[in-house]
This record gives sequence, structure tokens and C-alpha cells, in this order.
Amino acid sequence: MHLVLVGISHRTAPVELRERIDFQARGLDNALRALAARGTVREAVVLSTCNRAELYGVCDEIDQGRSAFVEFITDFHNLDRQSLQPHVYQVADLDVARHLFRVAAGLDSLVVGEPQILGQVKEAHAAAGTTHAAGPFLNRLFHSSFAVGKRVRTETGLGSGAVSVSFAAVSLARKIFGDLKGRNVLVVGAGEMGKLTALHMKSQGVHQVTIVSRTMAHAARTAEAIGGASAAPWEELDTLLGNADIVITATGAASPILTKAHIETVMRPRRNRPLFLIDIAMPRDVESAAGEIEQVFLYNIDDLQATVRENLARRASEVARAESIVGEEVEKFGMWLRSRGAIPTVVALRQRFDAVRRSEVDRLAATLPADVREKVEDVTRLVVEKLLLTPTEQLKALSDTETVAAYSEALGRLFGLTSPQAQSQESTGERTDSEDETASQRRSDRGDRRVEPFVRPQKR
Amino acid sequence: MNLVPLALYTLALIAYVWHFAQRQPTSGHAATTLLVAGVLAHTFVIGMQTMQAGQVPLTTAASAISATVWVLLLAYLYTEMTTDERAMGAFILPLAVALQAIPAFKPGVDDKAAVLQGPLFSVHVLSLLFAYASFALACVIGITYVLLFKEIKAKHLGFFYARLPSLQVLDSMNQRAIVIGWVFLTIGLFVGWIYAAQIPGNDPRVQAMSLRDPKILVAVICWAVYSFEAFAARRIGWGGRRSAYLSALGFAIVLLNFVPISYFVTTSHNF
Repeated sequence: MHLVLVGISHRTAPVELRERIDFQARGLDNALRALAARGTVREAVVLSTCNRAELYGVCDEIDQGRSAFVEFITDFHNLDRQSLQPHVYQVADLDVARHLFRVAAGLDSLVVGEPQILGQVKEAHAAAGTTHAAGPFLNRLFHSSFAVGKRVRTETGLGSGAVSVSFAAVSLARKIFGDLKGRNVLVVGAGEMGKLTALHMKSQGVHQVTIVSRTMAHAARTAEAIGGASAAPWEELDTLLGNADIVITATGAASPILTKAHIETVMRPRRNRPLFLIDIAMPRDVESAAGEIEQVFLYNIDDLQATVRENLARRASEVARAESIVGEEVEKFGMWLRSRGAIPTVVALRQRFDAVRRSEVDRLAATLPADVREKVEDVTRLVVEKLLLTPTEQLKALSDTETVAAYSEALGRLFGLTSPQAQSQESTGERTDSEDETASQRRSDRGDRRVEPFVRPQKR
Repeated sequence: MNLVPLALYTLALIAYVWHFAQRQPTSGHAATTLLVAGVLAHTFVIGMQTMQAGQVPLTTAASAISATVWVLLLAYLYTEMTTDERAMGAFILPLAVALQAIPAFKPGVDDKAAVLQGPLFSVHVLSLLFAYASFALACVIGITYVLLFKEIKAKHLGFFYARLPSLQVLDSMNQRAIVIGWVFLTIGLFVGWIYAAQIPGNDPRVQAMSLRDPKILVAVICWAVYSFEAFAARRIGWGGRRSAYLSALGFAIVLLNFVPISYFVTTSHNF
């Protein structure tokens, strides 16, 4: 049983190709169902964001799984295999875990440490859960990846600090005012930059956004574009400055429109209520000396960009710590994966014991009344369960491949487990109930290598 | 006996500072656990002393300091648990450890004089201890406010920016601590005044209870400073940084009253 991954991302594929391979647009459910219908892999999860499209799967043979995935991508999106091939990456087994853990941690993102990816990984897994596409292997893999994402976020500074100018402005405002709800934002100038920053503030739930411009019509148009904002004439600038908590200046004026003296006059009746001035105009709209006034926090575009640069550098310095967390978790996952090697032996052992039990009970059946027979059934089943409890636990706890092989070999010889039944179980993982047995039987009857994916017992 | 809580507080201090610098959840949990253990040990020590003396040990400067530290840390733990914010611990614990070192290394003998007993006396002392603990919190919050304010003003968004809550939150926490402290200080001083007026005057300490006694005078100055900060400062535009400085000044006066004056100068409150 192997883990395989086939995908494209911003690192390997141009945006045109990424746009074409968008599983999200056509619905993850549809993609998963289409994949299930092919019967080429046992488990599957489709991760699709604007920067990546990845198929995670479990299959019997790595090469077969990989080519099945590539084929599926080309068929599902009507692509030419030749044009896709150079942009695709294909990994297997523990490298799949390492890749997914890095993705969930934000280490593989365009902006390192961005937080949305973890949510997208969770969504991908949830979609696979509802369509029964994910089984024991991918469930474990994805749950481990959530834990990695969480660890990296809490134990490193990889996701800390704003990495865009408008988010830097919002996070500064938050650091000054706490919650932005109930705060008044004033935008001076009706240009595009001011509008964008105001939209960002609006999304943070500020109380009121007011646009003031020398041309009232421009202000009204911008206010309408923002939605829920109001426009005011230039003459009211001083009154509006008195009421505002956050002021964004973005006019095209050649010289500062707000001088230190002007701000001092505005600040007096405010009784030192903090004022956050964001000057994103070039040339600047606010005299830099205004930042010296107590309780006035003045940031211009260069300051915000410097903050962004610092944050990016800080994130970069945290990469090594995040990578070591990923390494630790891959190691843990590897141990779990290796312990899965004992599962076929466990299954075979249980079947062997149960077969002996059943044959003895059947032999007695004719001589026993119905109610006694039922009791004998129960008691013998319980005895077998209890006898096998400790060996099962011990086998599942083994973590290195060699020991697993040695134990399996020994048990196989001692109990004569090397039956074709055990072999067939080996390929079906840990499915133990009779339903699975018949499924594998049906497959061998057909004589093809087609697997039956996504058909999982409801209860194990 | 006070050494056990001191040792636990010191360990908690190290854990809080480590947590503040590294921001690892495990060190944060360890810090809180150590602090809770320290406060429990401290509660046990105060309980034992109460049983031994037959009254709450408040009649020496050392035991009063010990009780203040206990109240301060209880108040801090309450804020930590309600806000899930551990950053303040790195600032509160150094103060707590420094203060707790006094009763740990120089315990006084509790005076069982009749003049230092009774419900009014307990209300007087406990109210003042609550007030001082609140002022200690306000002072620490004020210091963190100034540290964060300076970072934002200087546009060097670094260490404190990443770790402290917003200026607005710090300012309102400071204001709340000041108002609560002021209420207890007022109650404490008022009850003290009534108590001094009704007890028989043959004890020399009672005769010295007037504004001429430095401890009483400084407490009244404290009250004036905190009254200004709680009710007048913001109306004349002294919010934010000035208010934070004022909390630090107020607490410096409280400390002055607590340590040097209690030990060396006062004649009426030499306990």
C-alpha cells in the first residue's frame, strides 16, 4: 500500500495552466466521484486552491497510481498530456507526508506562512470525507497535517506580521485601538489607493467610513463604490478630523494638506484621543512633524512598506524552525505507516483463530439445542477476542519494518498463516469483515487489477 | 516558610519570561502551573500563620507585604484566566518576587496587641492591601503601555508589538485597576480614620496617628495622586502615556510607604 501525490503549484506551473486545472470551480465532490468511478486508487483527496491543484491517493503500486492521477487530470480538464507533463510533480510515500505537512504549515505558499492554506487543506479533507473518498491512510495523513499546521503557527513566528501594505495598516490600527468596531475612518482624497485601503478597513467592521474630496462628485462616487460609506464636502474636513479615529490620506496634492499646526488644532478638543494617520499619497499629504504630537500615530507608505519587509524577513528566519517541526512530524507519521505493515498478519491471525472456532462450533451444533448453541457461539467468540487482544496490540505497536517482518514471519510459520487469503488481505489493508473478503474475492474472480475504492465499511 | 512560595514564584518568573520571549504554549502552561502552585503554597503559609497567631498575619510590615503579594498574584491570575493573556506575567512576577523576598528573608514577629485586632482593623488593612495590589497591577500595565507606545511611535514594530495587547486594551485595563485601587484605598483610609478615633488612646502608636506621621501622610498623598488619575487626568487630556507614567509614580509612592517608611520612619504604623 503506497501513498502517492500528483500535482501542480505556483512553483511549477504558469497561472494559465493553474486556472485550467481548477477542481474547485467544477466542485471537489464531482472530481472525487469521477475519480472513484475509475477505480484506480483506493483513497483520494483533491486539494485545489488558486496556487495549487494536488491529488493525494493510496494505491497498490506507485507508478500505476501516478499515471492514473495524471490521466485523470488530463481527462477531467480536457488537457493534452504533453503540455501537462513538464509542470507536474509526483511524489510517493513519506515524501507525500513531507509535502502535505509543508503545504499545511504554509511553507510551500507563495507568501510564506499565509494562514488560509490550512483551512483549504481542511476543506479538501472534509470534501473527501463526505464522498467517502478518504480512508484510514489519508485520514491519518490529513489529521497529522492539521496538527503540523497548528504547531507551526503556535510555536514559530512563520505566520506573524502583516505582509501586505493594506494589512499592515489594519494590523497597526488594531494594535492602537484594539477592536475596530465602532471606529470612524476618514478617507481624504477620492483616488483608487484610498478606496482600496478604505475597503480593507470596512471589511474589519469599522463603524463609519467617510470620503472627503475637493470635488464632491468624486467623493460621492467613491463612497458609492465602497458601499455603506458617506461623502462629505472639503469644508467639513476639520470637523471630520475631530471625529475620526483613523485617517487615510491619498490625494494628488503637490504639498502637504495636513500640517503639524493643523493637526495640533484638531487634537486639542479630542483630549488626546488617539489619531492614526495613514499617509499613502506620493508626494506626502501629511507633514512628517505631525507624527511628533502625543497620541498621533503617523505612518506613510514607506513606513508601511518597511514594516512589510521586516515581517517578510522575520518569517524567512522562522522557516528553519518550521521545517524542523515538519521533519519531526514526518518521522512520527513514518512510524505509524511502518506499524501498518503488521496489519495483514493481524487480520490473518484473527481469521485463523476464527476459522478454528467456527469449525468446532459447527461440529457441535447438531447435538446442541438452539439456545445453548447461541451461548456457545458467544463464549467462544469472547475467548478468541480475549486471547488475541494482547498480540494484536503488540503487533500494532511495532514501529520498524524489520521487526514487523520478523514477527509476521514467526507468526506465519507458527500458525500457518501464509494462506492465499492472507495474501489477498494484504492488499486490502485492514478491512477485516466478511464484506471486504467478498469484495476481494470478486476482484480476483474478475482477474483484473482494478481496485474498489471508496467502499468502506461504516463501522470497524 | 515563605521560602517555598518564593522559590515557586521565581521559577514561574523564569517560565513567564521564557514564554514572553519564545511564545511557546508549553512554557506558558508551565508558567501558569508554577504560579498556581506558588499561590497555593502561599495560601497554605498564610493559613498556617493565621492558625498559629489566632488572627490573619497583617501586623508586621513583612506579613503585610506577603499578603499584598498574595492578593496581587490572585488578581493577576484572575486577569490571565479571563483574558487568556499571559504577556503581563513577565512584568508582574519580577515585582512579586522582589516583594516576596522581604517576608521570606526578614520575617517579623506578629504583634498581638489589642490595638491591632478587631473587625475594623482587618477591614482597614485588607482594603489597603487590595488597593496596593491593584496599583501594582496598574503600574505594570502602565509600563507595558509605554513600551508598546514607544515602539509604535518610533515605527520599530518588534518585540513588544508582537507580544502585547493593543494600546486601547492596556489603557482601559490600567484605568480599571486604578479605579478599583482607588475605591479600596478610600475605604481603607476612611475605616482607618474611624478606627483611630474610637480606640482608647493609651498606646503610643495611637497617639502618633495623625497626618504628621509619614506613613499616614504619604498614604493621603497617594490618595490625592490616584484621585487625580482616576477622575481628573483624562478630562484634561492626560490619557494614554501620561496616565501610564502617573500609575508608575503612584506605585513608587506606595512602595516608598511600604518598605522604607514601614521599616524605619513611621511611629504609628511600625508593623
